[in-house]
Amino acid sequence: MDFILQLQHSAVMDWVRESGSLLGYPAILFLHTIGLATVAGLNGAIDLRLLGVASRIPLASLTRFFPFIWAAFVVTAVSGVTLLIADAETKLRSPVFYIKLLFIILALVNLQLLRKRVFANPEVDQLPVSAQARMLAFSSLVLWVGATTAGRLMAYIGPVAGLK
Amino acid sequence: MNAPHLHLILNHVPTVGTAIALGLLLLSLLRRQETLTRVSLEVFYVLALITLPAYLSGVATGLELEKMPDISVEAIHKHHDGALVGFALMLLTGLASWLGLWQWRRVSRPSGLNTGIVLVLALLTITTMAGTATMGGEIRHPEMMPEGSTPTAGPNWIHAASIQALVTDHTWIWPSLEALHFVGLWLLFGVVLVVNLRMLGMMKAVPFSALHRMLPWAVLGLGINIVSGMMWVIATPEQYMSNVSFFWKMGFLILAGLNLLYVTTFDQAWQVGAGEDASFANKAIAFSAIASWVCVMYFGRMLPFLGNAF
Repeated sequence: MDFILQLQHSAVMDWVRESGSLLGYPAILFLHTIGLATVAGLNGAIDLRLLGVASRIPLASLTRFFPFIWAAFVVTAVSGVTLLIADAETKLRSPVFYIKLLFIILALVNLQLLRKRVFANPEVDQLPVSAQARMLAFSSLVLWVGATTAGRLMAYIGPVAGLK
Repeated sequence: MNAPHLHLILNHVPTVGTAIALGLLLLSLLRRQETLTRVSLEVFYVLALITLPAYLSGVATGLELEKMPDISVEAIHKHHDGALVGFALMLLTGLASWLGLWQWRRVSRPSGLNTGIVLVLALLTITTMAGTATMGGEIRHPEMMPEGSTPTAGPNWIHAASIQALVTDHTWIWPSLEALHFVGLWLLFGVVLVVNLRMLGMMKAVPFSALHRMLPWAVLGLGINIVSGMMWVIATPEQYMSNVSFFWKMGFLILAGLNLLYVTTFDQAWQVGAGEDASFANKAIAFSAIASWVCVMYFGRMLPFLGNAF
C-alpha cells in the first residue's frame, strides 16, 4: 500500500494526473473505456448466445473471441492500474473500489469456468445448451453489470478526488 | 455555422420529412409495393437520426435566445416541451421502423402489425411536429399570432423543466444514469464487434444471417444510452451545447446509426454466407462501423477534457 502511495507522487504519475495533456489522464481513461467495452461487451454477446439469442451461431466459433477478450483485458487492467496509482490516496480508501475488484475477479473466474466446462467440449454444438452453461452465462452478465456499476459509482460514493 | 444556423437548416426535416415518408408508406400500401414500404421504413429510421441534431441544435438555440431582449421565454419553453414530445415520438417511430426492417429481413415479408404501429406513430409524430413548428415560429415571429394572444401551447405531457428538476433534485439519479449508460455502452459495442468482426474475417464459418439475430440487443443498448444521455442533456444543457466534444460525438453517432441500418436491411450484408469472405466494400463498412463507435466513445469520454462538461 505504502509503495503504491509513493508511486502516486512519482514524476510520471504527477504528469498523468496534472499535466492537462490529452495524452495523460484522458487518454488512459479512454483506453480503459474501450477495454471494458470490449471485455464486457464480447462476454455479454457470448452470454446472450448461451441464453438462446441467435442460436444458429455455432458456439465453437465464438471461442475465436477469447484471445480478443484477454488482449482487451490486459489493456483495461494496465490502464486501470495506472488510473488507480495516479489517484491512490482516494481510490484505495474507497470501499466501492474493492467491491468493483471483487466483481471483476468473480467475472474472470466465471469466464474461465465457461471455457472449461462449456466451450472445451468438442461436441458443444451437438448437445443442447446445458442448464449449467445457462447459469454461468446469466451469472456472467450479472457480474459484468455489477463491475461496471461499481466502477461508475466510484466517482460518486465514498471518497471522491474530483477526477472524472 | 453555429447552433441557431444548424437549427434553421434542420428544423423542417422532422415535419416535412415525416410527411413525405408517411406519404410514401400510404402510397406503398395502396399500390401493394413492398419495396416501397421498406424504403419508407428506412426513411423513418434516417429521419429519427436527423431529428437528433434538429432537437439538440434547438436546445442550444434556446440557451442563446433566452439572453436576448424582447424574446418570450415562455414561448421558448413551450416550443421545447412540444419538441421533446415530437422527438420522443420520432424516436419511437424510428425504433418501430427498425424493428419492422429487422423482422422483414428474417421472414422476407412485411408484418401488417408492424406497419400499422409505424403508421400510428408517424401520424402522432407529424401532428406533434407540426404543432411544435408553429410554436417555434412564434418565438421570432409573434406577428403570426392573433393580436393579444399568448404563445400556442402544444402537447406537453413531457416537461423539460420537470426532467431537469428530477435529475438535479435527486442526487442518486445522475450516478444511476452513469451506470446504465456504461452497461448500455458495452451491450451495444459487444454486438457491434461480433457482427462487424465477422465481416472483417473472424468466424468465417458463420453466415451473416445467423449474427443478424443479435442486432436487437445492440438497439436495446443504444436505446438505454439515448434515454440516459438525453436526461443529462435536458438536466444540464449548458454542459453540452457549446462543447466541441459533444458535437463530434453526435456526428459519429449518426454515422454509426447509418451503419446499423446497413447491417440490418441491406442485401449486400445479408448475403454473406457460411464460409464466405465478405466483399471489400463490406469490410470497409464494417471497419468504419467499429471506428465510428470507438469515436463516439472517445468524444463521450472527452466531454470534460476537450469541453466543459463535469
